[in-house]
Amino acid sequence: MAITKAVQKRERFKLGFFISCILVAFLGLMAMPRISVPLLMGYVIYLIIYPAVPTLEKLGINQTGAIWIVFSSMIFFSTYPFVKIVPTVTAEVENVQYYLPKIERYVTTKYNELRREVKERTSFEIGDKYFFQALDWVRTKSGGLLLNIPKFLASLLEWVFFIPLIVFFLLKDGKSFKRGILKLTPNSIFERFYFLSHQFNKKLGDYIFAKFVEASIVGITITSGLLILNVRFALLFGLIAAITNIIPYVGPIVGFVPALLFALAEYGSGTTLGAIIVLYLVANAIDIAIVFPILVSKVVDLHPLTVVVSVILGSQWLGMIGMVISIPVAAALKLIAQEVYKEIYQE
Amino acid sequence: MSYEKEINQRIEEKKVLPEKLEISVLRYFWQSNPVLGKKRDSIPRFLRKLEVFSNFSENEQRILAKYFHLRRFGAGETIFKQGDLGVGFYLIYSGYADIIIDSSDSSTSNSDESKHIITLEKSDYFGELALLQEMSLRNASAISRQGCELLGIFKPDVEELINQYPVIAAKLLQSVSLIVANRLFSLTKEVEELKYKITSLEKDSDGHN
Repeated sequence: MAITKAVQKRERFKLGFFISCILVAFLGLMAMPRISVPLLMGYVIYLIIYPAVPTLEKLGINQTGAIWIVFSSMIFFSTYPFVKIVPTVTAEVENVQYYLPKIERYVTTKYNELRREVKERTSFEIGDKYFFQALDWVRTKSGGLLLNIPKFLASLLEWVFFIPLIVFFLLKDGKSFKRGILKLTPNSIFERFYFLSHQFNKKLGDYIFAKFVEASIVGITITSGLLILNVRFALLFGLIAAITNIIPYVGPIVGFVPALLFALAEYGSGTTLGAIIVLYLVANAIDIAIVFPILVSKVVDLHPLTVVVSVILGSQWLGMIGMVISIPVAAALKLIAQEVYKEIYQE
Repeated sequence: MSYEKEINQRIEEKKVLPEKLEISVLRYFWQSNPVLGKKRDSIPRFLRKLEVFSNFSENEQRILAKYFHLRRFGAGETIFKQGDLGVGFYLIYSGYADIIIDSSDSSTSNSDESKHIITLEKSDYFGELALLQEMSLRNASAISRQGCELLGIFKPDVEELINQYPVIAAKLLQSVSLIVANRLFSLTKEVEELKYKITSLEKDSDGHN
C-alpha cells in the first residue's frame, strides 16, 4: 500500500496547489480593479454574445468565421450608439447643471413653506442645519460628478480598446482556457468542480442576459414615454432608469427620484407630473409583472435580504459592475455552500 | 509539354515508360512513419475501435474526441465513490479499474464489507447512468488499479454537444441508451431467473412441510 500513500500525498498536494491558484487569482482581481473591471465587463459581454456562436456554427459556418461574424457585428452595433449617444448624453449632462440651481431653489422654497406651516400649526421650529448640509452635499456631489465626466471618458477610452480585445480572445480561446483549468483540476474534485463551475457560468450568463433585456425594456419604455410627453432630458432619464434598474428593489426608486425632482421644478404639480409618475409606474409594473417573472426569477432563488446584502457588498468592491454580478455570484456561492454542507453533514 | 502529354506520346510511340510509383508501397511507408506512429494511439483512433461508437462516421468520431477529457489516475486512486453525485461517463483508455460495492447495510451479517464486483480493462466503460440521470448518485465505487488513463465525458460536455453538434449528441445518447438498455435487459432476465428460483424454493419448502 506504499504506492497508494504516495498517490494520496500527491493528490493532496495537487488539491492544495489548485485551491491556492484560485485564491491567488481571486485576490489578484480584487486588488487590481483597473484590470479586473474591464476584464469582468469583457466577460459579461462575452456571456451575452457567446450564444450566437454555436447558432451560427449550426448554420454551417466554421468556428473562426462564426467568431469573426459575432465579434464584428458586436463592434458594428455598439459603435453607432457610442458615437451617437455618448455626445448627446454628455451634452445633456452638461445642460443639467443649468437646471440644478432651479431645482435647488424649488426644493428650498418648498422646505421653507413646510417649515412655516409646521411652525404655525405646532409652534415647533425645524432646524435648518441638516437640510442645508444635505443640500450642500448634493451640490458638491453633483458638481463633482460633472467634473468627473472627463476622467470617466478617459477610462471609457481605455475600455473601448481593452474590452473588445478581451471579448475577442474569450470568444477565440475561451474553450482551450477552460480545458487548461480543467486539466489542472485534481481528480478528487474534478467532477464536482466541473459541474459546479458549469452551473455557475450558466447561471451568470442567464442572469446577465435577462438583466440586459430587462434594463433595455425599461429604458426604452421610459425614454419613448418621456419623448412622447415632450419632457426635457428624456434620453438621460431613460438611461438612468435602465442602469438603476439593474439594482434590485431600490434601483427603480433611485432611478425615479431625479426625474421626479426635475418634473416638480420644471412643470410644477400639474398634468405633466402626473403623466410622468404614471409612466414610471407602468414601466415598473411591466417589469415586475411580466419581464421579471419570465426572465430573472428562474435564475435566482435567493432571500430578499441576501439579495440586498450581496448588492451592497458588490457595489463596495467593484462599484457598478459589482452590483450587476453580485446576485449571480451570491446564487453560485449558495450552490457551493449547499454542496459543502452535503459533503460535511451527510456522511 | 506537360508530363501527361509526354507519357501519352510515349505510349503512342511505344517507347519505354518511366518507372511507376507504387501507391501501396508509398502508403506503407507513410503509415510506418515514426512521427505518425504516436498518433496511432490518439483518441479518435481509440474511439474507432469501440463497438459502442460504431454508428459514428470518422469525422463525427474526430469531433466527439474533442469533447472527451483524458484523466490520469495513480495506483489505488479513487475515480469516484459510491453515493457521490456523478456527472461523467468513463471509457478506459489504458490500464485497469476495479468496481467495488460497499455493502455497509446493517442488515447484512458483516457490515462495512466491500465487495469486489469486476475488474474492467482497456476499451471497457462505466458510469453511463450519470449522463442520463438527473442528480445521479454512483451506485458503486471505481478505483484505479496500478494506475490508469480514462476518457471521461461529462454532462456539461453533452449539453454543449447538443447545442453545437445535435447529430453527434443524438448518436452519443443513442449509444449510451443502448448500453443502458442492454444492461436493463440482462437485469430483467436475471430477476426473472431469481424469481423462478424463489418460487421453486418456496414450493420445495412447502413440499417439505
